[in-house]
Amino acid sequence: MRITCPHCGERGNEEFAYLGDATVRRPDDAGAARPGAPEFERWMDYVYLRDNPAGRHRELWQHVHGCRAWLVVTRDISTHAIFSVEDARAAALARPSLVARDAAS
Amino acid sequence: MAEIALSPPLSAFAALARHGRHGRAEGPAGVVVEELRGLALATVIARKGRAADLAAACRASFGVEPASTPRRTAKDGLAVVWSGPGQWLAVAEKGHPLTAGGADGLADALRGALAGLASVTDQSDARGALRLSGPRVRDALAKGLALDLHPRAFRPGDAASTWCALIDVQLWQVDAAPTYDLLVARGFAGSFWHWLEASAAEFGLEVR
Repeated sequence: MRITCPHCGERGNEEFAYLGDATVRRPDDAGAARPGAPEFERWMDYVYLRDNPAGRHRELWQHVHGCRAWLVVTRDISTHAIFSVEDARAAALARPSLVARDAAS
Repeated sequence: MAEIALSPPLSAFAALARHGRHGRAEGPAGVVVEELRGLALATVIARKGRAADLAAACRASFGVEPASTPRRTAKDGLAVVWSGPGQWLAVAEKGHPLTAGGADGLADALRGALAGLASVTDQSDARGALRLSGPRVRDALAKGLALDLHPRAFRPGDAASTWCALIDVQLWQVDAAPTYDLLVARGFAGSFWHWLEASAAEFGLEVR
């Protein structure tokens, strides 16, 4: 698998480290100790529960043996086909904030 | 308190590099290597949102515009090598005025000129530096470097941080001869040297 770093260009995946699921969002509330409470479930989901789709997924990778930037790689987990590679910081700044999302829902 | 006199930095490769010819003895050397000694090095990392101001201050103070892509820019023996988003390695050649006060001279000058814009860390003793050239240098490097160094893909001034023989390296092309400068973390100098000596042997390696 070859990953095209938006900063360095195409490199082999041995230069990169997988750093987890890029779809999870840290809840912005303080949480709750009581199972069943919405805050508890949100934190449970954020800390422990991960989807494992046999297909397209968004993942965090770091170009650890190159420019050391964190990246968001959108790829097909079954075929290893890569659809896009974004700078993680740029991707995080571009997405709507949790506050805005909560206000809209 | 007594003054502490620091001895000049020791060569990273002194105990390893045996001057002369290694490997194939016939014909001209395919690979020529020399250690770059006396470099002053410093990492420059932009503070949040200050990369553009940093570039302007660097241009005003040193006459060098830091690149925003993997490139090396230089003026009068002072180079700035892109090493990541918002990060550069400043390299002053041996004998550059900024190295006059010892290796810290470069870092001090950068800290002064880029105050509030960047974090600067001296790296002069942290790297071993080699200059590689010769007609077969690309073939030797290709044994450990998964980077396309063909002239259409990598040109003078281009820089890269990558892996070579499973060792983190930072390299840039100096000229079209081709000549490359390559830095490794000092602790890996021995591993890297043994790989280089073995990889260049079939082409004839000249150590200067």
